[in-house]
Amino acid sequence: MNIKHHPTDQTLMDYAGGSLSQAMELLVATHMTVCPHCRDKVSGFETMAGAALESTDKMAMANHSLDHVMAMLERDTANENTVEEVIEPRKIAVGESITGSAMTALPRPLAELLPVGVNSLEDIPWKTLAPGVKHFQLKSIESKGTVRLMKIAPGVSIPDHGHHGHEMTLLIKGSYIDEIGRFRAGDVADLDDDVDHQPIADTAEECICLIATDAPMKFNQLLPKLLQPFFGI
Amino acid sequence: MSGTTTRRPGPTDPVEAKKCADWIVAVAASHDREAFAQLFAHFAPRVKAYMFRFGGNSETAEELAQEAMMQVWRKAHLYDPAKAAASTWIFTIARNLRIDRFRQRKHIEVDDSDPTLIIDEDPLADEVVNRDQEAVLVKAAMQELPADQKVVVELSFFEDCSHSEIAERLDIPLGTVKSRLRLALGKLRGGLEGVA
Repeated sequence: MNIKHHPTDQTLMDYAGGSLSQAMELLVATHMTVCPHCRDKVSGFETMAGAALESTDKMAMANHSLDHVMAMLERDTANENTVEEVIEPRKIAVGESITGSAMTALPRPLAELLPVGVNSLEDIPWKTLAPGVKHFQLKSIESKGTVRLMKIAPGVSIPDHGHHGHEMTLLIKGSYIDEIGRFRAGDVADLDDDVDHQPIADTAEECICLIATDAPMKFNQLLPKLLQPFFGI
Repeated sequence: MSGTTTRRPGPTDPVEAKKCADWIVAVAASHDREAFAQLFAHFAPRVKAYMFRFGGNSETAEELAQEAMMQVWRKAHLYDPAKAAASTWIFTIARNLRIDRFRQRKHIEVDDSDPTLIIDEDPLADEVVNRDQEAVLVKAAMQELPADQKVVVELSFFEDCSHSEIAERLDIPLGTVKSRLRLALGKLRGGLEGVA
């Protein structure tokens, strides 16, 4: 995978610090699975956070705190056989790509959140949002932010839209092009609120992407725009 | 750059970082209580301060610091000194526990056994990095940051603060937050090996 677009340093720093919304975190971890470059950067930020922990003020522990902890651990050792359960990762196929731009299967962070019974992207119960645009919203995500899969038919353009707050898109299959450049599988568009863009699925195949946002309302404002050409509003 | 690469770290620092890593390894190898007591003395008060910044309550902070240290004991066998300095590893334990407790969910991470994981083909990526040395250099750079840059870094790591929230808190423009952070990261990176 030849990844050209990555999350911003700020996003990776917030991922390492643990201050991203769960929606954003999911997208970043999915990207990092296929991007060793960003894994390296994140471990650099974790090193910085560790150094900050080292140089931060200390707060004295309560009296006998260590004894208390040792006593608790003692009990641990008594019932030693805590076998770690290894859960096999789910394999969710992405499917062949005619342009060669696709992940082989969904990385584990994303695969884990799909409904039981979904074994490939084909099985996803897509909902039509507008002609040529389908989506599937992932559940069991904390309330701040939303994350959804989008499926965009070839040649379909998402109308020009700005962003309230943070929005990130991860390409899973196919490609699209916008004012920033061309995005292929594994690439991330990490957009701040001041970016306006109008992505278009630019090859003969559908484009599937994961979109995380901290501002769910804005996305809904996109709907009337999507429907505009068909209703002539 | 000169400030970070040529600076002589405090005399005890490199020894300390190496020692902490060795202590974790000793806990993993033989449930070494003496080593654990050392780790506890060094890290528990720091983790408590970290938790306090999120929880604002010293009882909760104490309890979470204890819980984090118990995880250090239980997970010691998973610690790999070639991958992370002790301070880095313990930070991630504290962070994950904090998210688990205050936001009631798991921190979503890359699974190293994920069949879809893509490994770096760059031969330089195999270079052995001395994580203890790296941690010492980054810490030295951290301590040399001007106060206005350091506070922005700390707010980023130690509180759930977005850029604009940091700007509000410090009553400075958003652009200033971004430029201070950029400057700080440039200096801190000087201490990292193998990072572009």
